[in-house]
Amino acid sequence: MTTSTLFQPRASRLHAAHPLTKLALTGLFLTLGVALPDIRWLLAAFALLMLPLAALAGLLLPFLRAAFTVLWPFVLSLSLIQGFFSPGDTPLIEIGRFAMTTEGLLSGLTVAARLLLALGSTLLLMLTTRPDNLMLALRQKGLPESLTYIVLTALQIFPRFQDRARVILESQQARGLEIEVNFLRRIRLLVPMVAPLILGSIVDVEERAMALEARAFNHPGAKTSWLELEDDARQRLLRAALLLAMLALIVWRVGRLFVP
Amino acid sequence: MNFRKEFSTVNLVLMAVAIAINIAVGTLVLNLKLPLYLDSVGTVLVGVLVGPWAGAITGFLANVVWTLSGLFPQAIAWAGVAAIIGALAGVFARAGWVQQWWKAALAGLITGVVAAILSAPIAAYVFGGVTGGGTDAVVAAFRSFGFDALFSNLAQGTVSDPLDKAATFLIVWAIMLGLPQRFKARFSGE
Repeated sequence: MTTSTLFQPRASRLHAAHPLTKLALTGLFLTLGVALPDIRWLLAAFALLMLPLAALAGLLLPFLRAAFTVLWPFVLSLSLIQGFFSPGDTPLIEIGRFAMTTEGLLSGLTVAARLLLALGSTLLLMLTTRPDNLMLALRQKGLPESLTYIVLTALQIFPRFQDRARVILESQQARGLEIEVNFLRRIRLLVPMVAPLILGSIVDVEERAMALEARAFNHPGAKTSWLELEDDARQRLLRAALLLAMLALIVWRVGRLFVP
Repeated sequence: MNFRKEFSTVNLVLMAVAIAINIAVGTLVLNLKLPLYLDSVGTVLVGVLVGPWAGAITGFLANVVWTLSGLFPQAIAWAGVAAIIGALAGVFARAGWVQQWWKAALAGLITGVVAAILSAPIAAYVFGGVTGGGTDAVVAAFRSFGFDALFSNLAQGTVSDPLDKAATFLIVWAIMLGLPQRFKARFSGE
Protein backbone atom coordinates (compact mmCIF):
# COMPACT_ATOMS: atom_id res chain seq x y z
CA MET A 1 0.00 0.00 0.00
CA THR A 2 1.48 3.31 -1.00
CA THR A 3 0.58 6.15 1.27
CA SER A 4 2.17 9.53 1.30
CA THR A 5 3.98 9.74 4.59
CA LEU A 6 7.46 10.17 5.93
CA PHE A 7 8.01 6.43 6.07
CA GLN A 8 11.39 5.33 4.78
CA PRO A 9 12.01 1.59 4.79
CA ARG A 10 15.26 0.33 6.27
CA ALA A 11 16.40 -3.03 7.59
CA SER A 12 16.78 -1.81 11.16
CA ARG A 13 15.76 -3.16 14.55
CA LEU A 14 13.66 -0.06 15.07
CA HIS A 15 11.78 -0.58 11.82
CA ALA A 16 11.16 -4.22 12.68
CA ALA A 17 9.85 -3.40 16.14
CA HIS A 18 6.15 -3.69 16.85
CA PRO A 19 4.30 -0.40 16.19
CA LEU A 20 3.06 -0.25 19.76
CA THR A 21 6.64 -0.44 21.01
CA LYS A 22 7.51 2.54 18.87
CA LEU A 23 4.37 4.31 20.02
CA ALA A 24 5.46 3.71 23.62
CA LEU A 25 8.86 5.20 22.82
CA THR A 26 7.14 8.24 21.36
CA GLY A 27 5.10 8.49 24.55
CA LEU A 28 8.27 8.35 26.61
CA PHE A 29 9.84 11.22 24.69
CA LEU A 30 6.65 13.22 24.97
CA THR A 31 6.65 12.68 28.73
CA LEU A 32 10.34 13.60 28.89
CA GLY A 33 9.50 16.76 26.99
CA VAL A 34 6.95 17.67 29.60
CA ALA A 35 8.69 16.44 32.75
CA LEU A 36 12.37 17.37 32.39
CA PRO A 37 13.19 20.51 34.35
CA ASP A 38 15.52 22.55 32.16
CA ILE A 39 17.11 22.90 28.77
CA ARG A 40 20.25 20.96 29.61
CA TRP A 41 18.24 17.87 30.51
CA LEU A 42 16.07 18.29 27.39
CA LEU A 43 19.00 18.63 25.01
CA ALA A 44 20.78 15.74 26.73
CA ALA A 45 17.73 13.52 26.22
CA PHE A 46 17.66 14.54 22.57
CA ALA A 47 21.36 13.93 21.98
CA LEU A 48 21.79 10.81 24.10
CA LEU A 49 18.47 9.06 23.55
CA MET A 50 16.75 10.26 20.39
CA LEU A 51 19.70 10.73 18.05
CA PRO A 52 21.15 7.25 18.74
CA LEU A 53 17.73 5.77 17.96
CA ALA A 54 17.64 7.63 14.67
CA ALA A 55 21.13 6.38 13.92
CA LEU A 56 20.10 2.84 14.83
CA ALA A 57 17.28 3.16 12.32
CA GLY A 58 19.76 4.26 9.67
CA LEU A 59 17.87 7.53 9.34
CA LEU A 60 20.05 10.05 11.14
CA LEU A 61 20.28 12.53 8.27
CA PRO A 62 16.61 12.32 7.15
CA PHE A 63 15.57 12.66 10.78
CA LEU A 64 17.71 15.75 11.35
CA ARG A 65 16.44 17.28 8.13
CA ALA A 66 12.80 16.64 9.05
CA ALA A 67 13.32 17.88 12.61
CA PHE A 68 14.98 21.05 11.36
CA THR A 69 12.16 21.77 8.88
CA VAL A 70 9.51 21.38 11.56
CA LEU A 71 11.32 23.10 14.42
CA TRP A 72 13.04 26.15 12.96
CA PRO A 73 9.86 28.33 12.79
CA PHE A 74 9.25 27.56 16.45
CA VAL A 75 12.84 28.34 17.45
CA LEU A 76 12.59 31.66 15.60
CA SER A 77 9.20 32.68 17.00
CA LEU A 78 9.98 31.51 20.52
CA SER A 79 13.38 33.21 20.65
CA LEU A 80 11.89 36.49 19.50
CA ILE A 81 8.55 36.52 21.30
CA GLN A 82 9.68 35.02 24.59
CA GLY A 83 13.05 36.74 24.31
CA PHE A 84 11.44 40.15 24.14
CA PHE A 85 8.28 39.64 26.14
CA SER A 86 8.88 37.00 28.78
CA PRO A 87 10.02 38.24 32.17
CA GLY A 88 13.74 38.79 32.44
CA ASP A 89 16.37 41.21 33.76
CA THR A 90 19.56 40.94 31.74
CA PRO A 91 19.17 42.72 28.38
CA LEU A 92 20.87 41.26 25.33
CA ILE A 93 19.54 43.25 22.39
CA GLU A 94 17.66 46.50 22.62
CA ILE A 95 15.29 47.78 19.93
CA GLY A 96 13.63 51.02 20.85
CA ARG A 97 11.94 50.55 24.18
CA PHE A 98 11.95 46.74 23.84
CA ALA A 99 14.77 44.57 25.10
CA MET A 100 15.48 40.90 24.54
CA THR A 101 16.56 39.43 27.85
CA THR A 102 18.73 36.39 28.47
CA GLU A 103 16.11 34.90 30.77
CA GLY A 104 13.37 35.41 28.20
CA LEU A 105 15.49 33.92 25.45
CA LEU A 106 16.33 30.96 27.64
CA SER A 107 12.70 30.30 28.51
CA GLY A 108 11.80 30.47 24.81
CA LEU A 109 14.57 28.06 23.87
CA THR A 110 13.50 25.72 26.67
CA VAL A 111 10.00 25.50 25.17
CA ALA A 112 11.63 24.90 21.80
CA ALA A 113 13.64 22.04 23.33
CA ARG A 114 10.45 20.50 24.74
CA LEU A 115 8.86 20.71 21.30
CA LEU A 116 12.00 19.19 19.84
CA LEU A 117 11.49 16.09 21.96
CA ALA A 118 7.73 15.91 21.39
CA LEU A 119 7.69 16.59 17.66
CA GLY A 120 10.98 14.82 17.03
CA SER A 121 9.62 11.63 18.52
CA THR A 122 6.54 11.74 16.30
CA LEU A 123 8.79 12.30 13.28
CA LEU A 124 10.91 9.32 14.29
CA LEU A 125 7.76 7.24 14.69
CA MET A 126 6.55 8.15 11.22
CA LEU A 127 9.94 7.62 9.62
CA THR A 128 10.19 4.08 10.96
CA THR A 129 6.59 2.88 10.87
CA ARG A 130 4.28 2.07 7.99
CA PRO A 131 0.90 3.71 8.67
CA ASP A 132 -1.03 0.55 7.88
CA ASN A 133 1.05 -1.41 10.38
CA LEU A 134 0.41 1.26 12.99
CA MET A 135 -3.32 1.21 12.31
CA LEU A 136 -3.40 -2.60 12.42
CA ALA A 137 -1.67 -2.57 15.81
CA LEU A 138 -4.22 -0.08 17.12
CA ARG A 139 -7.07 -2.11 15.68
CA GLN A 140 -5.79 -5.17 17.50
CA LYS A 141 -5.98 -3.13 20.68
CA GLY A 142 -9.59 -2.25 20.02
CA LEU A 143 -9.63 0.84 17.82
CA PRO A 144 -12.69 0.65 15.55
CA GLU A 145 -11.93 -0.41 12.01
CA SER A 146 -13.98 2.44 10.55
CA LEU A 147 -11.56 4.94 12.07
CA THR A 148 -8.43 3.21 10.79
CA TYR A 149 -10.07 2.95 7.37
CA ILE A 150 -10.66 6.70 7.28
CA VAL A 151 -7.08 7.54 8.29
CA LEU A 152 -5.43 5.10 5.90
CA THR A 153 -7.63 6.01 2.93
CA ALA A 154 -7.13 9.74 3.50
CA LEU A 155 -3.37 9.20 3.65
CA GLN A 156 -3.54 7.23 0.44
CA ILE A 157 -5.62 9.65 -1.63
CA PHE A 158 -4.69 13.15 -0.52
CA PRO A 159 -1.67 13.54 -2.87
CA ARG A 160 -3.99 13.01 -5.81
CA PHE A 161 -6.28 15.74 -4.50
CA GLN A 162 -3.36 18.11 -4.05
CA ASP A 163 -2.34 17.43 -7.65
CA ARG A 164 -5.86 18.05 -8.88
CA ALA A 165 -6.00 21.35 -6.99
CA ARG A 166 -2.67 22.38 -8.49
CA VAL A 167 -3.86 21.51 -12.01
CA ILE A 168 -6.96 23.65 -11.51
CA LEU A 169 -4.76 26.50 -10.27
CA GLU A 170 -2.42 26.23 -13.25
CA SER A 171 -5.27 26.05 -15.76
CA GLN A 172 -6.71 29.24 -14.25
CA GLN A 173 -3.30 30.87 -14.53
CA ALA A 174 -3.16 29.83 -18.17
CA ARG A 175 -6.43 31.70 -18.61
CA GLY A 176 -4.78 34.83 -17.35
CA LEU A 177 -5.55 34.71 -13.63
CA GLU A 178 -3.01 36.88 -11.84
CA ILE A 179 -2.04 35.50 -8.48
CA GLU A 180 -0.41 38.74 -7.53
CA VAL A 181 -3.73 40.58 -7.78
CA ASN A 182 -5.28 42.00 -4.59
CA PHE A 183 -6.51 39.45 -2.11
CA LEU A 184 -10.24 40.15 -2.25
CA ARG A 185 -10.15 39.18 -5.90
CA ARG A 186 -8.06 36.16 -5.09
CA ILE A 187 -10.72 35.03 -2.62
CA ARG A 188 -13.54 35.58 -5.13
CA LEU A 189 -11.65 33.56 -7.69
CA LEU A 190 -11.05 30.81 -5.17
CA VAL A 191 -14.60 29.40 -5.14
CA PRO A 192 -14.79 28.49 -8.85
CA MET A 193 -11.45 26.77 -8.33
CA VAL A 194 -12.44 24.86 -5.26
CA ALA A 195 -16.01 23.93 -6.19
CA PRO A 196 -15.31 21.59 -9.14
CA LEU A 197 -12.65 19.82 -7.08
CA ILE A 198 -15.04 19.16 -4.24
CA LEU A 199 -18.15 18.36 -6.27
CA GLY A 200 -16.15 15.95 -8.41
CA SER A 201 -14.83 14.23 -5.30
CA ILE A 202 -18.29 13.74 -3.85
CA VAL A 203 -19.45 11.94 -6.99
CA ASP A 204 -16.33 9.79 -6.63
CA VAL A 205 -17.39 8.83 -3.12
CA GLU A 206 -20.38 6.80 -4.19
CA GLU A 207 -18.34 4.68 -6.59
CA ARG A 208 -15.72 3.99 -3.96
CA ALA A 209 -18.35 3.04 -1.43
CA MET A 210 -19.97 0.60 -3.84
CA ALA A 211 -16.60 -1.00 -4.53
CA LEU A 212 -16.04 -1.40 -0.81
CA GLU A 213 -19.45 -2.89 -0.14
CA ALA A 214 -18.95 -5.34 -2.98
CA ARG A 215 -16.00 -6.56 -0.94
CA ALA A 216 -18.10 -7.07 2.21
CA PHE A 217 -16.55 -4.04 3.90
CA ASN A 218 -19.40 -3.57 6.31
CA HIS A 219 -19.78 -7.23 7.15
CA PRO A 220 -19.83 -7.73 10.92
CA GLY A 221 -17.19 -10.00 12.40
CA ALA A 222 -13.42 -10.25 12.32
CA LYS A 223 -11.52 -9.96 9.09
CA THR A 224 -8.24 -11.68 8.28
CA SER A 225 -5.45 -9.21 7.85
CA TRP A 226 -2.96 -9.51 5.02
CA LEU A 227 -0.37 -7.79 7.16
CA GLU A 228 1.16 -9.54 10.11
CA LEU A 229 2.81 -7.87 13.03
CA GLU A 230 5.66 -9.51 14.87
CA ASP A 231 5.75 -9.27 18.61
CA ASP A 232 7.61 -11.03 21.37
CA ALA A 233 7.88 -11.15 25.13
CA ARG A 234 10.93 -8.87 25.16
CA GLN A 235 9.02 -6.10 23.40
CA ARG A 236 6.02 -6.52 25.66
CA LEU A 237 8.37 -6.21 28.63
CA LEU A 238 9.98 -3.16 27.08
CA ARG A 239 6.58 -1.53 26.56
CA ALA A 240 5.64 -2.19 30.17
CA ALA A 241 8.95 -0.69 31.30
CA LEU A 242 8.40 2.38 29.09
CA LEU A 243 4.93 2.89 30.54
CA LEU A 244 6.33 2.66 34.06
CA ALA A 245 9.05 5.14 33.17
CA MET A 246 6.42 7.55 31.86
CA LEU A 247 4.43 7.21 35.04
CA ALA A 248 7.53 7.80 37.16
CA LEU A 249 8.38 10.91 35.14
CA ILE A 250 4.87 12.29 35.59
CA VAL A 251 5.01 11.65 39.34
CA TRP A 252 8.41 13.37 39.49
CA ARG A 253 7.08 16.36 37.55
CA VAL A 254 3.97 16.69 39.68
CA GLY A 255 6.07 16.28 42.81
CA ARG A 256 8.27 19.19 41.77
CA LEU A 257 5.19 21.42 41.79
CA PHE A 258 4.97 20.99 45.54
CA VAL A 259 8.66 21.28 46.34
CA PRO A 260 9.65 24.94 46.87
CA MET B 1 -28.79 10.17 15.74
CA ASN B 2 -28.86 7.02 13.72
CA PHE B 3 -25.47 5.47 14.35
CA ARG B 4 -25.55 2.93 11.55
CA LYS B 5 -26.63 5.57 9.08
CA GLU B 6 -24.22 8.22 10.22
CA PHE B 7 -21.31 5.78 9.90
CA SER B 8 -22.46 3.87 6.85
CA THR B 9 -19.87 2.78 4.32
CA VAL B 10 -20.59 5.68 2.01
CA ASN B 11 -20.16 8.13 4.88
CA LEU B 12 -16.84 6.59 5.92
CA VAL B 13 -15.61 7.11 2.37
CA LEU B 14 -16.96 10.66 2.45
CA MET B 15 -15.02 11.36 5.64
CA ALA B 16 -11.79 10.07 4.10
CA VAL B 17 -12.39 12.17 0.98
CA ALA B 18 -13.24 15.18 3.15
CA ILE B 19 -9.89 14.90 4.91
CA ALA B 20 -8.16 14.82 1.53
CA ILE B 21 -10.15 17.93 0.59
CA ASN B 22 -8.96 19.63 3.80
CA ILE B 23 -5.38 19.00 2.79
CA ALA B 24 -5.80 19.89 -0.88
CA VAL B 25 -7.62 23.18 -0.24
CA GLY B 26 -5.35 24.02 2.68
CA THR B 27 -2.20 23.65 0.62
CA LEU B 28 -3.80 25.47 -2.33
CA VAL B 29 -4.57 28.45 -0.10
CA LEU B 30 -1.05 28.36 1.29
CA ASN B 31 0.34 28.58 -2.25
CA LEU B 32 -2.00 31.46 -3.07
CA LYS B 33 -0.58 33.27 -0.04
CA LEU B 34 -3.98 34.26 1.28
CA PRO B 35 -4.40 35.40 4.89
CA LEU B 36 -6.65 32.40 5.53
CA TYR B 37 -6.21 28.71 6.33
CA LEU B 38 -9.31 27.10 4.75
CA ASP B 39 -8.06 23.78 6.06
CA SER B 40 -11.42 22.53 7.37
CA VAL B 41 -13.67 22.80 4.32
CA GLY B 42 -14.02 19.02 4.26
CA THR B 43 -14.72 18.81 7.98
CA VAL B 44 -17.48 21.40 7.80
CA LEU B 45 -18.88 19.70 4.70
CA VAL B 46 -19.19 16.39 6.55
CA GLY B 47 -20.76 18.11 9.54
CA VAL B 48 -23.33 19.72 7.27
CA LEU B 49 -24.02 16.69 5.06
CA VAL B 50 -24.02 13.94 7.67
CA GLY B 51 -24.24 15.30 11.20
CA PRO B 52 -22.36 16.59 14.24
CA TRP B 53 -20.77 13.30 15.34
CA ALA B 54 -19.47 12.56 11.86
CA GLY B 55 -18.19 16.13 11.61
CA ALA B 56 -16.42 15.81 14.94
CA ILE B 57 -14.72 12.54 14.00
CA THR B 58 -13.71 13.94 10.61
CA GLY B 59 -12.13 16.97 12.27
CA PHE B 60 -10.28 14.84 14.79
CA LEU B 61 -9.00 12.32 12.27
CA ALA B 62 -8.06 15.08 9.83
CA ASN B 63 -5.56 16.32 12.36
CA VAL B 64 -4.28 12.78 12.89
CA VAL B 65 -3.73 12.55 9.13
CA TRP B 66 -1.98 15.96 9.01
CA THR B 67 0.40 14.58 11.67
CA LEU B 68 0.90 11.09 10.22
CA SER B 69 1.53 12.52 6.75
CA GLY B 70 4.42 14.53 8.13
CA LEU B 71 2.97 17.68 6.57
CA PHE B 72 2.21 19.25 9.92
CA PRO B 73 3.28 17.09 12.87
CA GLN B 74 1.98 19.51 15.49
CA ALA B 75 -1.57 19.18 14.12
CA ILE B 76 -2.47 16.51 16.64
CA ALA B 77 -2.37 19.11 19.41
CA TRP B 78 -5.38 20.79 17.81
CA ALA B 79 -7.39 17.64 17.10
CA GLY B 80 -9.89 18.49 19.82
CA VAL B 81 -10.57 21.96 18.42
CA ALA B 82 -10.98 20.49 14.93
CA ALA B 83 -13.51 18.02 16.31
CA ILE B 84 -15.54 20.82 17.84
CA ILE B 85 -15.52 22.74 14.56
CA GLY B 86 -16.96 19.68 12.81
CA ALA B 87 -19.54 19.20 15.53
CA LEU B 88 -20.62 22.84 15.39
CA ALA B 89 -20.99 22.62 11.62
CA GLY B 90 -23.40 19.74 12.13
CA VAL B 91 -25.34 21.54 14.84
CA PHE B 92 -25.73 24.69 12.74
CA ALA B 93 -26.78 22.62 9.75
CA ARG B 94 -29.42 20.76 11.75
CA ALA B 95 -30.69 24.15 12.92
CA GLY B 96 -31.09 25.17 9.29
CA TRP B 97 -28.39 27.85 9.34
CA VAL B 98 -26.51 26.67 6.24
CA GLN B 99 -29.39 27.31 3.88
CA GLN B 100 -28.96 31.07 3.53
CA TRP B 101 -25.56 32.57 2.80
CA TRP B 102 -25.68 35.19 5.53
CA LYS B 103 -26.71 32.67 8.18
CA ALA B 104 -23.94 30.37 7.01
CA ALA B 105 -21.42 33.19 7.29
CA LEU B 106 -22.69 33.99 10.78
CA ALA B 107 -22.45 30.33 11.78
CA GLY B 108 -18.87 30.40 10.53
CA LEU B 109 -18.08 33.54 12.51
CA ILE B 110 -19.43 32.00 15.70
CA THR B 111 -17.55 28.74 15.06
CA GLY B 112 -14.39 30.76 14.46
CA VAL B 113 -14.76 32.59 17.76
CA VAL B 114 -15.24 29.29 19.60
CA ALA B 115 -12.21 27.85 17.80
CA ALA B 116 -10.12 30.88 18.78
CA ILE B 117 -11.15 30.58 22.43
CA LEU B 118 -10.28 26.88 22.50
CA SER B 119 -7.01 27.25 20.58
CA ALA B 120 -5.52 30.07 22.60
CA PRO B 121 -4.70 28.00 25.71
CA ILE B 122 -3.09 25.33 23.55
CA ALA B 123 -0.87 27.86 21.82
CA ALA B 124 -0.10 29.66 25.06
CA TYR B 125 0.66 26.66 27.27
CA VAL B 126 1.75 23.87 24.95
CA PHE B 127 3.66 25.90 22.38
CA GLY B 128 4.97 28.68 24.59
CA GLY B 129 2.69 31.33 23.11
CA VAL B 130 3.51 30.78 19.43
CA THR B 131 2.29 28.68 16.55
CA GLY B 132 5.35 28.77 14.35
CA GLY B 133 3.38 30.38 11.55
CA GLY B 134 3.25 33.85 10.03
CA THR B 135 0.47 34.80 12.45
CA ASP B 136 3.10 34.92 15.20
CA ALA B 137 3.80 38.43 13.96
CA VAL B 138 0.28 39.36 15.08
CA VAL B 139 0.90 37.68 18.43
CA ALA B 140 4.14 39.62 18.81
CA ALA B 141 2.30 42.86 18.13
CA PHE B 142 -0.17 42.16 20.93
CA ARG B 143 2.64 41.13 23.28
CA SER B 144 4.38 44.42 22.53
CA PHE B 145 1.29 46.23 23.80
CA GLY B 146 1.89 44.55 27.14
CA PHE B 147 -0.62 41.71 26.94
CA ASP B 148 0.26 38.26 28.22
CA ALA B 149 0.67 35.12 26.13
CA LEU B 150 -2.86 33.78 26.59
CA PHE B 151 -4.52 37.08 25.72
CA SER B 152 -2.24 37.72 22.76
CA ASN B 153 -2.92 34.29 21.30
CA LEU B 154 -6.63 34.79 21.88
CA ALA B 155 -6.48 38.20 20.21
CA GLN B 156 -4.62 36.79 17.22
CA GLY B 157 -7.13 33.95 16.99
CA THR B 158 -10.04 36.37 17.06
CA VAL B 159 -8.47 38.28 14.22
CA SER B 160 -8.05 35.29 11.91
CA ASP B 161 -10.31 32.39 12.93
CA PRO B 162 -13.83 33.91 12.55
CA LEU B 163 -12.96 35.22 9.10
CA ASP B 164 -11.47 31.90 8.09
CA LYS B 165 -14.42 29.85 9.34
CA ALA B 166 -16.95 32.28 7.83
CA ALA B 167 -15.24 31.80 4.47
CA THR B 168 -15.24 28.04 5.02
CA PHE B 169 -18.95 27.93 5.82
CA LEU B 170 -19.67 30.10 2.78
CA ILE B 171 -17.77 27.71 0.53
CA VAL B 172 -19.75 24.78 1.96
CA TRP B 173 -22.99 26.73 1.50
CA ALA B 174 -22.07 27.26 -2.17
CA ILE B 175 -21.26 23.58 -2.58
CA MET B 176 -24.58 22.55 -1.03
CA LEU B 177 -26.31 24.74 -3.60
CA GLY B 178 -24.58 22.90 -6.41
CA LEU B 179 -25.02 19.42 -4.94
CA PRO B 180 -27.87 17.33 -6.36
CA GLN B 181 -30.53 16.51 -3.80
CA ARG B 182 -30.02 12.77 -4.05
CA PHE B 183 -26.47 13.15 -2.70
CA LYS B 184 -27.72 15.08 0.29
CA ALA B 185 -30.16 12.30 1.07
CA ARG B 186 -27.54 9.61 0.48
CA PHE B 187 -25.09 10.99 3.01
CA SER B 188 -27.52 12.29 5.57
CA GLY B 189 -27.12 10.84 9.03
CA GLU B 190 -30.73 11.37 9.99
